[in-house]
Amino acid sequence: MAMIFCNTLFSSPPLLSPLTSTQTKPSRSSKNLIARAQSQSMEDHIHDDPLRQKFMEFPYVTATRKQLMVDIISTVEDHFQPLLLPCSLPPDVRNFKNPNGSAEASIYIRSGEKSSPIDFFIGSWVHGKIPTGVTLNITTVSAFLKSSTNAPNFTLEVIQTSPTSLILILDLPHRTDLVLNPDYIKEYYQDTNLDSYRQSLLKLPGVKPYVSPSLFVRCVVSPAASVLKIDVEEEEQLEEIWRDHVGPAAKEILGVWFERCAREDDEEKRVMGEEERMELERRDKSFRLKNIEDDLDFQFPILFGEEVSSRVLHVIKEAFGVL
Amino acid sequence: MIFCNTLFSSSPLLSPLTLTQTKPSRFPKKLIARAQFQSMEDHDELLRLKFMEFPYLSDTRRQLMVELVSMVEDNLQSLLQPCSLPPDVRNFKNPNGSAEASLHIRSGEKSSPIDFVIGSWIHCKIPTEQSHVARSHPRPIPRKDLVLHPDYIKEFYQDTALDSHRQSLLKVPGIKPYVSPSLFVRSGFSPAVSALIIDVEEEESLEEIMRDHVSPAAKDVLRVWLERCAREEDEKRVVGEEERKELERRDKSFRRKNVENDLELKFPRMFGEEVSSRVVHAIKEAFGVL
Repeated sequence: MAMIFCNTLFSSPPLLSPLTSTQTKPSRSSKNLIARAQSQSMEDHIHDDPLRQKFMEFPYVTATRKQLMVDIISTVEDHFQPLLLPCSLPPDVRNFKNPNGSAEASIYIRSGEKSSPIDFFIGSWVHGKIPTGVTLNITTVSAFLKSSTNAPNFTLEVIQTSPTSLILILDLPHRTDLVLNPDYIKEYYQDTNLDSYRQSLLKLPGVKPYVSPSLFVRCVVSPAASVLKIDVEEEEQLEEIWRDHVGPAAKEILGVWFERCAREDDEEKRVMGEEERMELERRDKSFRLKNIEDDLDFQFPILFGEEVSSRVLHVIKEAFGVL
Repeated sequence: MIFCNTLFSSSPLLSPLTLTQTKPSRFPKKLIARAQFQSMEDHDELLRLKFMEFPYLSDTRRQLMVELVSMVEDNLQSLLQPCSLPPDVRNFKNPNGSAEASLHIRSGEKSSPIDFVIGSWIHCKIPTEQSHVARSHPRPIPRKDLVLHPDYIKEFYQDTALDSHRQSLLKVPGIKPYVSPSLFVRSGFSPAVSALIIDVEEEESLEEIMRDHVSPAAKDVLRVWLERCAREEDEKRVVGEEERKELERRDKSFRRKNVENDLELKFPRMFGEEVSSRVVHAIKEAFGVL
């Protein structure tokens, strides 16, 4: 399972100039370039960024799937505007292929400004054929909060193995020991009625619970997580489930996350002690590190070959502070 | 429910089997008649035997429970003190006799890694349709934050291949995963837990599943726990002072929440206020969360 993410907390990226095009081939995104007469806000720069446009194409998934990813990412960007820095990854990490072109991926990360509650969010898609012959399409968007709060993060991850079958993780993963802090369960999972989304989705034909083969992944998701396998007869059924049920659920859960978790400097919010904050940072780090090790370190060399993979992983781990 | 705690190490604690049966049982009780008892030991033995009757279970299920309790007691023999609960907590009914329960708690000796062992059964007539359903979950319960300590996962859950039990059991027709309505209970489970609902047409199928699948799995999980977790002084697992305090806090939080969410909620309804508060008090005392 790929939860791809980076920490660009330690970099201070320059502003991108939207009219500097790094296109190397005629691209469909040229249609979307909006010419502007006057100076533009940073966000306009962002939206005109060809690499962002390429990322937002989500070229290997259906329109329905793409639409949800684009909506979620745009909503996140709009919500944290103007406290988001532009993506500062090198272009060959923002988009890369394997040597023979049979696998491709795109990574998009934006960090929060100093006063933003968000550390960073990451969107990504990965497309490729694995040794078993199955073609994988993985699309994710995850948002990570700073250690000034221990509220849950947000994650939406989709692993598609065929036009009629996919695995979905939709969750607000906890960032504390739930046994030691049972009130956390009440605050973020009971009072928000988060489990009702899981229950509703499970009522749909073709939707079943999914148990990850990774024990670590099972620990990391919250007790109210929607971790589901959708397996149907017809492609159209999958589209319908996505459009009519998963999409709305994901957007509502994102709304809950904005309201309850990703709040700005909140007077009412409990101030975290130094010890507690350090513990939180350790936990966050442990999570991110294990994820990279179990997932990307394992998957990327297979999909992209040693050379591309080690370059990309190096950048990710460096930005991450776990080199 | 048998529930053991190792205080001196952070090894998982064990809840090997919670069987919740919703079908009213038609099996006759097996009464063991005793002519007389005199010493306290005899008295204790009689009460223990009453607990071990598991009077409302079928033969197969009783067999399993008796075997598990015996495995625990035989293995941990010298490390356990006799049960010291008052007789009216070791066995109690509600005023009109429609519910009955039995508790068996044995504390660990001072030098033992075991804090205590608890076995129990609860019987209650609730008006439901006839259905042959049992919920079971043999599992070692983690005593650490697994995200912060991923090695714990490897040591106790991967290297022991515990997940294979869950996978095998789920292949048996009639067995489905069970998701607790309580988010707290879900958060306490290990990643390899077998939390299952067994739902079949015929009573005989249930017995068969218990006998051929659940029983061997439960015994195996218990064996793993006894071997890996409930060990005596183990150089490797000496726990530092800070870690120990953290562990105690966590254990306390877990036990308290368990009693609150489970017993304090259910017992008053089943046994009435008077019996319930007496019993819950004794349990909280034994659990160290008074």
